[in-house]
Amino acid sequence: MGNENNNLKSTITFEAETFRRIQPEEYLRKFIQQQVRPDGRSFNHFRKTTVNLSCISTADGSSMVRIGNTTVVCGIKAEVSEPNVNLPNEGYLVPNVDLSPICSPRFKPGPPSEQAQVLSENLNKLLKISKVIDLKTLCIEEGKAVWVLFADIVCVNYDGNVFDACVIALISALMNVRLPKAFYEDGLVKATEEKSITLSIIRTPYSASFAMFDGQYLLVDPNEMEESITKDGTTVVVDETGQLCNIWKIGSSCSPEQLKTCISKARDRYADITSIIEKAKQAI
Amino acid sequence: MIYVVRAVTENRRCCSRTFQMSRQELIGPQGLRNDGRRVNELRDMKCKTSVLSQADGSAYIEQGNTKCLAAVYGPREARMKAQILHNRANINVEISLAPFSMSERKKRSKSDKRILEIASAVKQTFEPIIMTELFARSQIDIYLQILQFDGGIVQICINAATLALIDAGIPMKDYVCACSAGCINDEPVLDLNNIEETNNVPELTVALLPKTDKITLLQMESRLHVDKFQPVMEMAAIGCKEIHTILDKAVRENVKDLLKKVSI
Repeated sequence: MGNENNNLKSTITFEAETFRRIQPEEYLRKFIQQQVRPDGRSFNHFRKTTVNLSCISTADGSSMVRIGNTTVVCGIKAEVSEPNVNLPNEGYLVPNVDLSPICSPRFKPGPPSEQAQVLSENLNKLLKISKVIDLKTLCIEEGKAVWVLFADIVCVNYDGNVFDACVIALISALMNVRLPKAFYEDGLVKATEEKSITLSIIRTPYSASFAMFDGQYLLVDPNEMEESITKDGTTVVVDETGQLCNIWKIGSSCSPEQLKTCISKARDRYADITSIIEKAKQAI
Repeated sequence: MIYVVRAVTENRRCCSRTFQMSRQELIGPQGLRNDGRRVNELRDMKCKTSVLSQADGSAYIEQGNTKCLAAVYGPREARMKAQILHNRANINVEISLAPFSMSERKKRSKSDKRILEIASAVKQTFEPIIMTELFARSQIDIYLQILQFDGGIVQICINAATLALIDAGIPMKDYVCACSAGCINDEPVLDLNNIEETNNVPELTVALLPKTDKITLLQMESRLHVDKFQPVMEMAAIGCKEIHTILDKAVRENVKDLLKKVSI
């Protein structure tokens, strides 16, 4: 009789890795209860961020951004095109994000996934609403020719928080753009060979992303595992004056106080990113 | 120098990029090529393995100004049932060119015929080398991303895939090393860059198994005098051997790093 009782009480033991795979949520909860995250960070700790400018010589402006293991490469190519009839003196800035199957086993080859399209659209909205550059400066000849800047962002390694990486990559690549001097002459656009014109960037919004776990723990800069478990994200975009540019809140609910902490943390993060980009500029 | 970027005409489709550039001398008077190399010199080569955390094996290679990233996933369960082979693993190769990789932006879709052809060449090169019979009913995915292009796409794809496969620990019979060679002014030259490629220099790409000196891939898509074939081929083979030592060094260095981490 006693023997049987013992058998019932005995618990199954797992390797930590096995536990992580079969009960990912419980695995994360065990860490969070100890006020630490599985990769050893505290709740408020962003992963190490590095920016590398001018890494692609075929592009007119380029940057590579790493946040922890997440790596994105942004290359900007300038082309000449005719302007929109309704906006004859405005150029275009077209962002596009590519989440190719190289970056994670989650992505399949084929047409751009929903997530990639959502990312591209969010970036596009951000650029439009916060007026990062004045599109009028991209005009070569009113009604005839304007610059089109294609900003293509390729995600090379996906380990969560790709949006933050994309924003940093896009803004820093825009800072890195060098255009030739172009002028319009009877139906032809001519350009000098040397590329020296920089873009005047009006606002520099940077984002900070958060994940909410169990409705009360706010994890900054979630990695892939945390992102997939929490399914609940907040992204706050602020500019250099500390003003809000954008907030995305998706998934389950959070309190106004939590949003306030998100915003103040995003402002702190902003200062870090600016110093990282300044360092990258000096390193060229 | 001023060049025409685009002719703005009534017709949107009628655009051209005309460079008023004279045809360049490919080999200068001192016997140096336009990028300062001698005829038998490879471009600077940098390689590194285990660069990506999500992939099972990965590698990054730079050959001159051509930059390529490779990731290998697998052997894993085949995504499509129709692709399952009952006696061996199915190899899937996909190459994508970043839109900013070329001098002119072109949205090259993955179904671009030229890229599909290169992908199938890479696939066929590796099929006999990877011991696929050990992984029946599974799939090995090789993804190649060109970040910057300056000629020699086939060779860099093969070299990067070799490194990534080794990094993934997939059993292979040997390294596969690829190198191109061409012929300028009746003289064989090693490792063509983009300027040489676009100036109609006959280009021969060779993939070699360095241990047995066997050739697994040979590609030439232009006219070359039959007497010149042998020296060009020998030149390419020498290049492959050189590349082998560079790749081997990268693999050994990575293993040393790994050993250090394990011993701590």
